[in-house]
Amino acid sequence: MSAREKILQRLSDRSRPPAVKPSLPDPLGRSDDLIPSFAEALKAAGGVSNLLNDPMELESALARSFPEATVVLDTRQAPTTGTEFDSRRSWDLVILEGKLGVAENGAVWVEWNEHYPRSVLTLAEHLALILPKEALVATMQEAYEVLDLSSVAYGLFLAGPSKTADIEQALVIGAHGAVTLKVFLV
Amino acid sequence: MVDHARNAAAFLQNPERARWHDRALWHVRQKRDLAVKAVPEWEALRRAAEEIKGHTLQHLGYYLERFEARAQDNSIEVFWAEDAKELQQIVGKLLQEHGASKVVKSKSMLTEECGLNPYLESLGIEVTDTDLGERIVQLAEDRPSHIVLPAIHLKKEQVAEIFARKLGTDPNESDPFRLTRAARKHLRQKFLEAEAAVTGVNFALAEEGGIVICTNEGNADLGAALPDLHIACMGLEKVIPSARELGLFTRVLARSATGQAITAYTSHFLRPKPGGRLCVVIVDNGRSHLLAGRQEKLLSCIRCGACMNTCPVYRRSGGHSYETVVPGPIGSALAAANDSDKYASLPFACTLCSSCDLVCPARIDLHRQLYQERERCIRVPKYRGKRRGLKAAALFLRYPGLRRTAMGILGSLMPKLPRSWIYYRFNLWGREHEMLRPARRSFSRLYKERKQ
Ligand code: SF4
Repeated sequence: MSAREKILQRLSDRSRPPAVKPSLPDPLGRSDDLIPSFAEALKAAGGVSNLLNDPMELESALARSFPEATVVLDTRQAPTTGTEFDSRRSWDLVILEGKLGVAENGAVWVEWNEHYPRSVLTLAEHLALILPKEALVATMQEAYEVLDLSSVAYGLFLAGPSKTADIEQALVIGAHGAVTLKVFLV
Repeated sequence: MVDHARNAAAFLQNPERARWHDRALWHVRQKRDLAVKAVPEWEALRRAAEEIKGHTLQHLGYYLERFEARAQDNSIEVFWAEDAKELQQIVGKLLQEHGASKVVKSKSMLTEECGLNPYLESLGIEVTDTDLGERIVQLAEDRPSHIVLPAIHLKKEQVAEIFARKLGTDPNESDPFRLTRAARKHLRQKFLEAEAAVTGVNFALAEEGGIVICTNEGNADLGAALPDLHIACMGLEKVIPSARELGLFTRVLARSATGQAITAYTSHFLRPKPGGRLCVVIVDNGRSHLLAGRQEKLLSCIRCGACMNTCPVYRRSGGHSYETVVPGPIGSALAAANDSDKYASLPFACTLCSSCDLVCPARIDLHRQLYQERERCIRVPKYRGKRRGLKAAALFLRYPGLRRTAMGILGSLMPKLPRSWIYYRFNLWGREHEMLRPARRSFSRLYKERKQ
């Protein structure tokens, strides 16, 4: 008998499909003022938010925020066909579009469309996330209600830059991935 | 047999260090409290987490098969392993077929439990742990002492010494920021060279057929993004019904673990990367045996580590004193449930204060579980003396007359005895405590006199 059969046999009295789904509590309050709570949560996560009143300002705000970035990848544009992409190279700045933001924790949902290698996300020194203001929800529960994962291959909630506190509990921003993360709310 | 009390005594040999350990973990517990207070519906979330886990375990066979089918629809390969040995063989074979001799690993307590690293190394495969804390203990040839903070037992000066020896950094440079930067550089090279990635799994989504990994460092994402083979290892209790329930668990996990509202990366691997393979290994290794009885609840654990941070015994004895992969309250309960002969002392390394029950996001009744394990653990041969002592105590409790006489004699005798007669080898209580002095006149005598 294979391991699979043995394990499933031991679980044979637990193989009925459930009649009902488990219930979830309703998230309380907080549905208003999503933008300030998002900004505050993102700050706590080590990130920075930049609220733009005019969408036209976006490009100049991007340029102003990362004046030193020279090796830049803007994933809003699909790669020009025929270019070989080195998945191992590092980037000063990678610009990504966020689909959804969560006010309770400052996380932004990013879906990978596989136009670029997945490594781009973590080999970027700085990340710029562009997020529509209307795409904010209050909590993770609401986020998953909105998200459709059926055609997603790789997607993630990013909450601030990478970090660690493994040496004496001292927080250090910039572990393996991005050292800074900025969200542009448009 | 593991002797927790002896190990704890060794840990306490360095009181300054022990105090630091205690405070560092209590600080994490306080951060958790702050994060939790910001969520008014917190208790409802814990109840829901408990319910979802219970529900999933009730239908575990269904959800695992569902996960397998849906994952296969997504071109994810699914393997099953009965025990540690099978996991080792599956992973070893996949890596060898792939021709991988360098592997990066992100944190996985399961692979630690299954001794995967030493096995792969015996095959000539270089395994690099990439979580900073895990890399530190790996370089030090040490073991993690906490499931979320693997290197919490080490001071920065020790890390500096380890890095100087292994990575050639300045031994006097003990600034956490600079040490972390040095590790980033060192590990970046390892990531770029890796031919395969091995990761753990935080949640497996049955309905969506994918896995979710939570890290702060981004090491799972970077590790899995470069090589063409990603092997994810999961205990069979990691499956949850769907992303809807994930909405709940992502709210409680990081808050309970470190006091963050969420980890920096909550990554959903739902299909292999283009041209790559994503293999998921579902491991039992003694888990399904726990389903039969009350111990089932232990499988609800989401490995947040909150019960460790709050535990007065863990904080004052250190993770290594348990000699288990998972230490602390949940680790003690699991170890005793799986092997009560070897780990009989662990359920007694508990004050029954139940602080762990109150912080556990899955509402596992840890102190009661530990209490129940005691009943089995006291039967091991090593505890024969203890059992006799307890039987004798039971005798005195059963016969009040006997007890009163004995207490009377003891009360008049004890003050006259030399210390060495009272604090002798078999007086375990007297080892760490000053014995209570019997009152000159007992309470019952005073009571009687008062009534007359
Ligand atoms: S038993 Fe509860 S508190 Fe302890 S690690 Fe598991 S989920 Fe966290």
